[in-house]
Amino acid sequence: MIAALVAWFVADLVSVAANRIVPGEGVATLDAIGWGGVLAGSLAMLAVAILGFRPNPRKYRAALIVTVTMLMALPAVLALAAARLADSDMPQARLGIGPGFWVVLFVTLLAMIELRTRLGVSRLNGWVLMLPVVLSWWLCLSLWLAPLALLQEFRGRSDQFVSAVLYHLALVGAAVGTSLVLGVALALAMRRFPTLQRAGFGVLNFLQTIPSLALFGLLLAPLAWLAANVEWVSTLGVRGIGWAPALIALVAYSLLPMVRNTFVALSQVDPGVIESARGMGMSHVQVFLQVRLPLALPVMLEGVRITTVQAIGLTAVAALIGAGGLGGFIFQGLGQAAMDLVLLGALPILGMALVADALLGALSERLRPGGAK
Amino acid sequence: MIELFDVTKRFGEEAAVDAISLRVDSGELCALVGTSGCGKSTTLRMINRLIEHSDGEIHIDGQPVRRFKEDTLRRRIGYVIQSTGLFPHWTVARNIGLVPRLLKWSPERIESRVEELMTLLGLPHEAFADKYPDQLSGGQAQRVGVARALAADPDILLMDEPFGALDPITREALQDELRELQARLHKTIVFVTHDMDEALRLADKLVVMDAGRIVQQGTPLELLREPATPFVESMLGGDDRGLKETSLVRVSERMQPPGQTLNAKARVHRDATLRQALAVMFREHADQLTVFDDEDRPVGELSLQRLVGVTRHE
Amino acid sequence: MNEHGVQWRANRALRHWRLPLAWLVLLTALTVGMAELESVFRWVEADSRQVIYDRADFVTLLGRHLLVVSVASLLATLIGVSAAIAVTRHAGQDFLPLVAQIASMGQTFPPVAVLALAVPVLGFGTLPIIVALLLYGLLPIVRNTLAGLQGIEPSILEAARGMGMSGGQVLRQVELPLAAPVILAGIRTSVTVSIATAALGATVGASNLGDPIISGIVNGNTAYILQGALMIGLLALTVDSTFERLTVRRISR
Repeated sequence: MIAALVAWFVADLVSVAANRIVPGEGVATLDAIGWGGVLAGSLAMLAVAILGFRPNPRKYRAALIVTVTMLMALPAVLALAAARLADSDMPQARLGIGPGFWVVLFVTLLAMIELRTRLGVSRLNGWVLMLPVVLSWWLCLSLWLAPLALLQEFRGRSDQFVSAVLYHLALVGAAVGTSLVLGVALALAMRRFPTLQRAGFGVLNFLQTIPSLALFGLLLAPLAWLAANVEWVSTLGVRGIGWAPALIALVAYSLLPMVRNTFVALSQVDPGVIESARGMGMSHVQVFLQVRLPLALPVMLEGVRITTVQAIGLTAVAALIGAGGLGGFIFQGLGQAAMDLVLLGALPILGMALVADALLGALSERLRPGGAK
Repeated sequence: MIELFDVTKRFGEEAAVDAISLRVDSGELCALVGTSGCGKSTTLRMINRLIEHSDGEIHIDGQPVRRFKEDTLRRRIGYVIQSTGLFPHWTVARNIGLVPRLLKWSPERIESRVEELMTLLGLPHEAFADKYPDQLSGGQAQRVGVARALAADPDILLMDEPFGALDPITREALQDELRELQARLHKTIVFVTHDMDEALRLADKLVVMDAGRIVQQGTPLELLREPATPFVESMLGGDDRGLKETSLVRVSERMQPPGQTLNAKARVHRDATLRQALAVMFREHADQLTVFDDEDRPVGELSLQRLVGVTRHE
Repeated sequence: MNEHGVQWRANRALRHWRLPLAWLVLLTALTVGMAELESVFRWVEADSRQVIYDRADFVTLLGRHLLVVSVASLLATLIGVSAAIAVTRHAGQDFLPLVAQIASMGQTFPPVAVLALAVPVLGFGTLPIIVALLLYGLLPIVRNTLAGLQGIEPSILEAARGMGMSGGQVLRQVELPLAAPVILAGIRTSVTVSIATAALGATVGASNLGDPIISGIVNGNTAYILQGALMIGLLALTVDSTFERLTVRRISR
């Protein structure tokens, strides 16, 4: 919180640029939102810091309310800054989000998560807590934040954006789906044939070590050759560049966590449970379907979670070899030094990773025997 | 000598140990017995300040423990715990030499001390010195734990259910070894256990605790004969306690000079307990036993009347 | 120790380090002798005038890559391990849940996104990459150090304190040695990810082994891509197999 306070005063809250290409000029918090706003923000942060000093549940609850309120107020701060700094002479002006704002946002979010865990708020209530925050952001974004550069970038290519998100998700989905099927099959085969186990894990570990950029690169040449020389491959749409190498590499990376978790999950089921199931007269198939699989499911889902989060990030890299998706915005933005375009690509990727992580984590928690129902 | 004066330990509002006073004389083995959560382990750990007491005073040889630096105090006190707490990344020899090394003994002195202790505890140096703890059986590991606690020759030994995790046979063997060791070394030992039989076997002084308070303290015989409360009585095994008493008295204490008619089969060693004598009578359908000594000479006889008479208060 | 014994030890060490050494030799050979392979790359990329990347020689690229990764990893190890130690001490306990939370949540951030987000804040060039790698590399180290320290059986720590070891002695002689394999695994993950992410740094203006790949993609020159990819792949394998051997050594003792 102290860090946030420092950032609040020292770092630039927003930047204003005449147009997209010109780098923005920093504007300190004080100039951006005026004395009243600064005072209100500082008071809120001080309050959280003081409430955290000699903690007890009641103070935590109060602090939580303050942080949630702050999160709701932050977009309004931006809107205020936009209104104060907007210049009618320059309709092209853009408002960038400065480091000061990021730090405050980050620290406040952290404080909220921390308070939520300390208070032991249930998952459902946690989401309910987030609802007003999301609502407030959405409201401010759609009503008052027109000059925000990020939004302008978005408006400039909203169709592209939607299709990029969908494409990104499709690629991740295809990769995770393929590796789920392959991974489970491979894990089962390894359990049946122990000799396969060493070799299999050796190869998968090896693949995991090779950096993504290098693997994408290494796949280019053979795929290009295949596309050029084998007719049915090229009719499938496979090229050296594009979705094919991306998908292959994604599956290659995804297999290790998938196989490892499936294998471990199936192996670690208490042998006593299996023995007693057999002793009751359950057949092999029954034991597998009714005992082993349900008990192994949470750990397997953990594998799916790791794989999905990893694939979301790797798909972004795949944009470099022309696979498209949100990574395209990032590298396009980096190429044009348009930072807000980079953000337009990076923020949704971050969001997708966090949401996938939370959802799959919650699901595996639920499936755990005795987990929250 | 360890003395506790009105020692209290509060965790938050709750008193885990509530104003207990206790005195353990030099060379005495004092057993703290009670159900889990009665405060016996907390009491033990306040003595070497792993837990700080909230109120009252703890003295060692007349000096309050708070006057020592924690580390200095602990290096003077041997400490043995149930799960041994041996360092898995160190060899047996290095584990045993821990405290001497902390006290900066010379390497030669440490080495000879380690060898001496391993011999004392029946762990041949050549076979065990370079082993790692996970290569030992439970009994061996606990012997190493005891050796480590004795390494710097402390006057005081604190033992927290040291034999609790062992199988009954190993446990009994180690109990016997501890008794022999104690007969030779005369340490001041505080021994925490929930096993009343173990406490009866080993203790010079028995302290029964319940809900953070001392319910009764005294010699094992005193407790067996006059349990102060129903709780103590149930801890002692209710009606069984008469039998337990027989295992505390030796045949030699109650035998008569040998008479004329000697039964060759119904015989018992003079160092056996009355309980063993009773078992022999049962087995041989005899009401009279010949008592013999180490050289197999008859030195006396024991009748059923005398045996039972002993267990009545005289 | 007689001569025979020395010989035997040397042999064993050689056999032990065989795999990392093999990768290292390949990497060195490729770094120095890339030009010798011109004919091979010519075959891959028949149409281009240039088939060997020549905007910087491979020794320089490798050196820069190594520099960035090692500076970032070294700092990350230093900061990460000390931070994890600090929050597991009594005085720092209040921050333990917070740090653990950040470490586990941060790992869901894709490295590309972290790198991309670092640029607006830190600008282009080598420094932002080091900072981004450092921040991202901290997470697995912190998480593993925490796991390693917290995974030690409480009774061992109690015995250590009960024997009269001071806090520093417990840390140095008991906690760190016991947690070492887990910490090492964290450093290994961190370094592997750093090598891969540093390559992406070529897109934000750092010059390293990612360069040939990026410029190959931009210019449609598959040979460049292959050269960069081979180098990075070999570098990653060399480093990773070295760590693997280190871990095995510690565990087998």
